[in-house]
Amino acid sequence: MIVFDQVNLEYLPGRFALQDVSFTLDAGSFTFLTGHSGAGKSSLLKLVARLERPSSGEIQVGNILYSRLKPRQEPALRQQMGIVFQDNQLLHDRSVFDNVAFPLIIGGYRYADIKTRVSAALTRVGLSDKAFERPQSLSGGEQQRIGIARAVVARPKLLLADEPTGNLDPDISAEIMQLLMTFNASGVTVLFATHDQSLLDTFAYPRLQLNKGRLTGLTTQPRSTTRVRSSRAASL
Amino acid sequence: MRLKRTSPSTPAMITEEPEAAAGARWTYGKRGYALAQSLRQLKLHKFASLLTLLVLGITLALPVMLLFASNALGQLGARSLEGETLTAYLHGAVSDLDGAALAERWAGREGIRDTRYISRDEALALFRENSDISEAIEALGNNPLPGAIMVFPDSNTLRSGRIETLADQLRQVESVERVQFDLRWIKRLQAVVSLIRLVGGLLAGFLTLTALLVIGNTIRLELLRRRTEMEVASLLGASRHFMNRPILYTGALYGFLGGVVASLIAILAFNAIRQPADDLSSLYESTFRLSLPSASQIGAVLAISLILGLFGALTSLYRPSHHLPHHGPNRG
Repeated sequence: MIVFDQVNLEYLPGRFALQDVSFTLDAGSFTFLTGHSGAGKSSLLKLVARLERPSSGEIQVGNILYSRLKPRQEPALRQQMGIVFQDNQLLHDRSVFDNVAFPLIIGGYRYADIKTRVSAALTRVGLSDKAFERPQSLSGGEQQRIGIARAVVARPKLLLADEPTGNLDPDISAEIMQLLMTFNASGVTVLFATHDQSLLDTFAYPRLQLNKGRLTGLTTQPRSTTRVRSSRAASL
Repeated sequence: MRLKRTSPSTPAMITEEPEAAAGARWTYGKRGYALAQSLRQLKLHKFASLLTLLVLGITLALPVMLLFASNALGQLGARSLEGETLTAYLHGAVSDLDGAALAERWAGREGIRDTRYISRDEALALFRENSDISEAIEALGNNPLPGAIMVFPDSNTLRSGRIETLADQLRQVESVERVQFDLRWIKRLQAVVSLIRLVGGLLAGFLTLTALLVIGNTIRLELLRRRTEMEVASLLGASRHFMNRPILYTGALYGFLGGVVASLIAILAFNAIRQPADDLSSLYESTFRLSLPSASQIGAVLAISLILGLFGALTSLYRPSHHLPHHGPNRG
């Protein structure tokens, strides 16, 4: 599903956000992306979402080679992914329903589909009774669930989560994790960036570990479908 | 390589009946969304929007009034020329029969709409009727007045200034002793009208440019207000067109509504000066009347204003310093 081949991201001459990163994630996998703050987790997710371009190396998502991707194709690519952010990125001037409907409006879905999908997504995250409330009137956990509903409403094949539990207490974090696991169970590939050790300890999924922009380790589990391809990382 | 959108067919997660959506149905389409967002922003910032519309309306009012008045000024020039004649006085030896035949021949000439022959007797009768010295004529014992032909040039000749050429041509005719006409005051009037049009046009150009700058500045503020929405839209895969559309609609709305305000101001102003203008016109025995703008004129103003708003928005969106949301490196 996701292939990184010797990817570098240089943000200033000689200063790398990511350096020589290579790995493969299979379709339908659930992978933690771990590392301390500043390790390059967000940069890696941005590369996958094509919000950043690598300085060198090749990235492939599905059958799409990013080096051959034209700028005008990038929005369509992003519409095939779901992204969950630590700070929700919700629009507080509109209802929960309209926030979740936003990707479908962008995607040009019909009104009937929008109603059906948004209602289903809100039911799935347990917020169907809050559809017409404003996000700021809801708790942090509920706001994060709106973000998840918005990320999955268009049925993406790939879900990127950038520290979605970062500001939440452990119980709510576990709830969010359960939600993402449910989507993974239905075939969605999940790449979950976190440095929450309790989550990593609780849930036995493969991990890509970053340190100062380098992929320094892979912790595989029995069900792992993640392979590190860098010779350096593999040796660790 | 081909990018395919996830099929919008029946999603696996549907578990219950759809609920009523928060907004009206039309606001969930791409264009409907853009229009709804534009209207929403106007509504959210009522006072600022109202002030902007007033500024636009007042700025555009003068160009609009000039546009409405341009037809009236054209009519003033043209109507002043109507009825203007050349008078060709014939030699005393030319008989009424020959004079009438000459007038008939001239009536068919290029540049002449009509002619009328005034016989010597008719001229004498007119002189007696209108002159205080008619008794002096009686003392002469015979009619000293020549026959004359009144020549009515056609409108092309009057407007194109070829009337002097026509007068010269008539002077060449053997039977004609003198040709008389006086268009000086009309020329002065036309010069004044031309000057008003030129100055008005320049002023209208400057004011239109001002309106464009006002719209551009308003759109720049709108871009700042919508930055978060544009960033989120970009993250969710919105195209540049999708993100720009509400901004363009906002520009068009400001232009259109500014045009409405400007038209209202112009109509009120026209209504106020209509009666004094008519009074002035009647003092000069002119048929000129200042009329209120027609529906097509108002329609043209609204269309031009809308395009102006759209152009103002475009200049703000596509100026070199404007960038769409950029997601710079975040090493988290």
